Amino acid sequence: MYTVEIKNLVKTFDKAKAIDNLSLNIEKGKITGLIGADGSGKTTLIRLIIGLLVGDEGEITTLGLNPVTQKEELNYKIGYMPQKFGLYEDLTVIENLRLYADLKNEPYDFDKLLEFTVLSSFQNRLAGALSGGMKQKLGLACTLIGTPDFLLLDEPSVGVDPISRRDLMKMVRDLISPQTTVLWSTAYLDEAHSFDTTIVLDKGKVIYEGKPHDLAPTAQEFENKIIDLMGGYKKEKSLIAENYIPIKTNLSCTVEADNLEKKYGDFYAVRNNSFCINRGEIFGLLGPNGAGKSTSFKMMCGLTKPGGGTARIMGIDILKDPAKARSNLGYMAQKFSLYGSLTVRQNLEFFASAYGINFLNRTKRVDEIIDVFGFGAVQNRLSEDLPLGFKQRLSMACALIHNPPILFLDEPTSGVDVVTRRDFWNHITSLAKKGVTILVTTHFMDEAEYCDRISLFYKGETIAIGTPDELKQKANANNMEETFITLIKESEL
Amino acid sequence: MKVLKSLVKKEFLQIIRDPSSIIIAFVLPLISILIYMYGINLDSVKVRIGIKNDDANPEIATLVKSFGHSKYVNSVVYDNIRDITGGIEASKLKGAVIIPNDFSTRLSRGQSADLLIITDGSDVNTANYVQSYAMSIANQWLMSSKYKYLAQTAGITPEIRTWYNQDLNSHYFILPGSIAITMTLIGILLTALVVAREWERGTMEAILSTKVRKIDIVLGKYIPYFVLGMMSMMFNVFICVGVFRIPFRGSLVVLFGVSSLFLFTSLGIGLVISSKLKNQFLASQVSLGIGFLPALMLSGLMFPINSMPVIFQILTRILPPRYFITFIESEFMAGTVWEIVIINSIFLSVLGLILFGAVYQSTDMRLVK
Amino acid sequence: MITDMLRRVFALVKKEFITIWKDPKSRGIIIAMPLLQLFVFANAITMEVKNIDTVVIDRNNSQETRELLSRFKHSPRFRHLYVVDDEKEFKHKIDTQNVQIGIYINNDFSSSLKSNRQPVVQIISDGRQTNSASIASGYASQIVSEYISENSTLKGASINPVVRNWYNPNLEYRWYLLTILIPMLALVITILLTALSIAREREMGTFDQLIVSPLSSFEILLGKTIPPLVIAMGLTCFMTISVVVFFRVPFMGSILLFLVSIFISLLSIVGVGLFISSICSTQQQAVLGVMTFQMPAMLLSGFISPIEDMPVFWQGITWINPVRFFMTLSKGIFLKGMSVQDIIYNLIPLVIIAVITLSLAGMTFKRKLG
Repeated sequence: MYTVEIKNLVKTFDKAKAIDNLSLNIEKGKITGLIGADGSGKTTLIRLIIGLLVGDEGEITTLGLNPVTQKEELNYKIGYMPQKFGLYEDLTVIENLRLYADLKNEPYDFDKLLEFTVLSSFQNRLAGALSGGMKQKLGLACTLIGTPDFLLLDEPSVGVDPISRRDLMKMVRDLISPQTTVLWSTAYLDEAHSFDTTIVLDKGKVIYEGKPHDLAPTAQEFENKIIDLMGGYKKEKSLIAENYIPIKTNLSCTVEADNLEKKYGDFYAVRNNSFCINRGEIFGLLGPNGAGKSTSFKMMCGLTKPGGGTARIMGIDILKDPAKARSNLGYMAQKFSLYGSLTVRQNLEFFASAYGINFLNRTKRVDEIIDVFGFGAVQNRLSEDLPLGFKQRLSMACALIHNPPILFLDEPTSGVDVVTRRDFWNHITSLAKKGVTILVTTHFMDEAEYCDRISLFYKGETIAIGTPDELKQKANANNMEETFITLIKESEL
Repeated sequence: MKVLKSLVKKEFLQIIRDPSSIIIAFVLPLISILIYMYGINLDSVKVRIGIKNDDANPEIATLVKSFGHSKYVNSVVYDNIRDITGGIEASKLKGAVIIPNDFSTRLSRGQSADLLIITDGSDVNTANYVQSYAMSIANQWLMSSKYKYLAQTAGITPEIRTWYNQDLNSHYFILPGSIAITMTLIGILLTALVVAREWERGTMEAILSTKVRKIDIVLGKYIPYFVLGMMSMMFNVFICVGVFRIPFRGSLVVLFGVSSLFLFTSLGIGLVISSKLKNQFLASQVSLGIGFLPALMLSGLMFPINSMPVIFQILTRILPPRYFITFIESEFMAGTVWEIVIINSIFLSVLGLILFGAVYQSTDMRLVK
Repeated sequence: MITDMLRRVFALVKKEFITIWKDPKSRGIIIAMPLLQLFVFANAITMEVKNIDTVVIDRNNSQETRELLSRFKHSPRFRHLYVVDDEKEFKHKIDTQNVQIGIYINNDFSSSLKSNRQPVVQIISDGRQTNSASIASGYASQIVSEYISENSTLKGASINPVVRNWYNPNLEYRWYLLTILIPMLALVITILLTALSIAREREMGTFDQLIVSPLSSFEILLGKTIPPLVIAMGLTCFMTISVVVFFRVPFMGSILLFLVSIFISLLSIVGVGLFISSICSTQQQAVLGVMTFQMPAMLLSGFISPIEDMPVFWQGITWINPVRFFMTLSKGIFLKGMSVQDIIYNLIPLVIIAVITLSLAGMTFKRKLG
């Protein structure tokens, strides 16, 4: 029995094939993981399966229905969670749940969902005021209403911390019936490894279909196999780091947070946050969603005024001389915040000149960045039309374009495919070796291993600080994910 | 039904959370009414003119005095023609009256005497006022001067009566008309962004894979803003009639009945913009560009439609405010005249239904890219 | 140092041009909407009332009244003449707006005329169509009084107006209208270009990225001011040329001074637009904010009713309305060849408005952080 049967599907956007003669069957009652490089056609495939897009050629049968002609009937049987899930941010948690229950013609029976999402006590909070992880949980809860026959989740765990990620997984597994089919697109390969089936897409084609355990017995090996399937990753010398011209400084702390504090009403978003990052150090800020990492980031680069304390960048106080302090900084925001109506190249050129790179160097620099980040084929596309992974790459590229001695990267690898993630970290570590100071947040615990030091952040405060090994020892754990969960739980006590 | 109900409820919650639509519905009309009530004055237009008297006859001095006493004219006496010219050039004077030296002589002989009237033609409206005020003051003076026995008795203009507005208070006319202009703007502004916003924020994609039907999405947008718009309409009428005591001779039931048809059309315009463009930036640009001026200039409130070239008269047929203005002026000033109510209601309904069809047509149930 | 700054500003200017000008839809809206409105308004709008339909009750029904009515029939302004007997029908025709005016001729018309008494003719104007009906009744009254005075046996002293309309000898309404439409539509264009500029960046999150960059407030302000100013300037000049070439309105003043005046007027409107945009955090708010400026600015510009006739308080408000001065300048330079001194007098308030709004906008950039 198949829930989805696809034969010779083709979908073209502006002459580029997003789905290229794809044939695929998805088994009923199984959880199928959908993985692939950025822009490999994952989202397009999901949208085609439920009839949100119409293919150019080929046939799709979903739950025995034709999504092109029988979309309405199909809608009764599916639950779809888009990548940018459509929560109404100006509605409260409970209002969102009620709305989606009504739209699916289901009763208001949210006890189980609220229990799983731990949102019971936040029922009357506006969805927009929830942390990233909570939003994803609420989105999933809305999708799960009415126990659909077929669940399609488009990267539900992007930007979600390890604890919430486990919760999401548990929610799905516990709340579906054995007959439910799940199609789950993800960039987390450990997640994909735990599913029943894996589909790997590349350039709109299926390049692997089968049981993840057949490919590799452990998650780590699975990741390596997938990377091989996607063309392999060859660690090369980072060109960006090669061309970086180090700035001499005698400062011991190139980045310094001095008792940073931010209060919203009675609630401390950040409290007593102090740290000192040395030149050439990679400093990781880890913590669950809503712990105050982004607020700290914004205070450090002067986007939010601290309630107390200050930050110094290359010794310059961000409150006293923000412009001078910032000129040393490359900042990559969590949310995509580049100009959607500009092409990739235009964005790069804009940021290059905004940071004062002159014309001759600019063209060279932009060409170099386009080359390094693999933008060759998309350089003239509008950045709003890019797949999520490419948007992240572009944000990273724009943060790096002016060779800053300090980099602030807020979840740089969220939604980025595994090969690109390795490439990102190759650049990050090589830059650090050249003396660039890096402050980074991530939800990929394997990436935390790249950091020289980690500050574990929870409920606005630092609960542990040290090298990855020190933290592991402290938590008595083998890997960072366990370390993270243990230390957070301990602090709760 | 349940789906529609909950979409409507959702929209109301959003309206309450973001005060900007409430401001559009209630603050905008208030500003507009205050401007039309106090800032615009069409009744006692007073023009400043220069007078130069070349006739030494003492009787003519009373003519100069008459100009001084008129409540329509603010007159300044000059001896030098160059000062008058300079005054008009610098826009300090809107015109001038020059009494020639043979003025009294000709009148005393029972002849027609020339009176030179100069106007600043760069402002056509004011120039017309200068002409007619000057002539009416001069004629009145003639009939009370010592030349009255020599004057033609006839030649005085026939009596003009203005029905429905005997007091000739222009507010009675301009305020109901302004409601129509404001309601056009409100209808468009309320809805122009609401569909585009859902596409941009990704909520549309999530909704499209639920049990929502196309008609639910369309009605789910019409109904809440219709309710809000009608509240705004009532507020408008309340301010005009209740606060500013503009006489209302019609029936409230008829007024709100036709208003609802009108609102149906202007919400339709906003929703077409929004669902066609699916982009807040473009939708904002279009609604800013067409929300106000066309309704003001082409609806018949300011300029006569009958005198336009035929092609433009046809063009005004597709402007909903045109029908609503005709109706609302009549309902306020003359009471319910069924012919007017019915004709304009038919046109509004047809336009409203066409727009509704266009909204339905341009509501996509799938993604385009 | 200065080259660095120029480079940054140039980058921002280029980016702004791409966002507002490169997208064909956006460009289409910006060009087509004002030009289309100029074309339609200029051709459609007239203050001359034509095609007047009239209802008549002729109680005298004499040779004289027939002559009078035939003058109406032959007048190019009057279209249909409905002669009715019944007062009810008379009222019905006016009530239902089948006609714009009514004429009532009393039964003593011819006898009064012969005996040199004032004959009774009443003209009824429809107050619901104030503008057109009052102009129409003016025409009617003119026809009637001309007829009476020509047929009156008594000749005597009368005042004969000799009218000279300076700058616009035939009082062409279109000349006046077009010189006023230029500022009105320039306002629409400039508002379109500036209203969303900052609010949209805030909503999208890109404004944070700008603030983090080394661009100073002043540089951002410069980058946000130049593109709308250039585009609006281009379109306004294009409108001016069309007004002169296609609509044959004489241009009396100095072209250079006119350009300077447009530039400063547009600058002040750009300032207001950017200021409103800078205090809004969503596009919806910006549209609302800008509309609450645009509507009063148009109504209180002197176009609908002269500033001098407003109550003092409202006259005071018009001092902060850039459109008021822009309109005076456009009308004055175009039709009257306004003197340098008067131009400067009108430019001063505009410069003040521009300086204040632009500095406020620049200040809000950084102040509005969390």
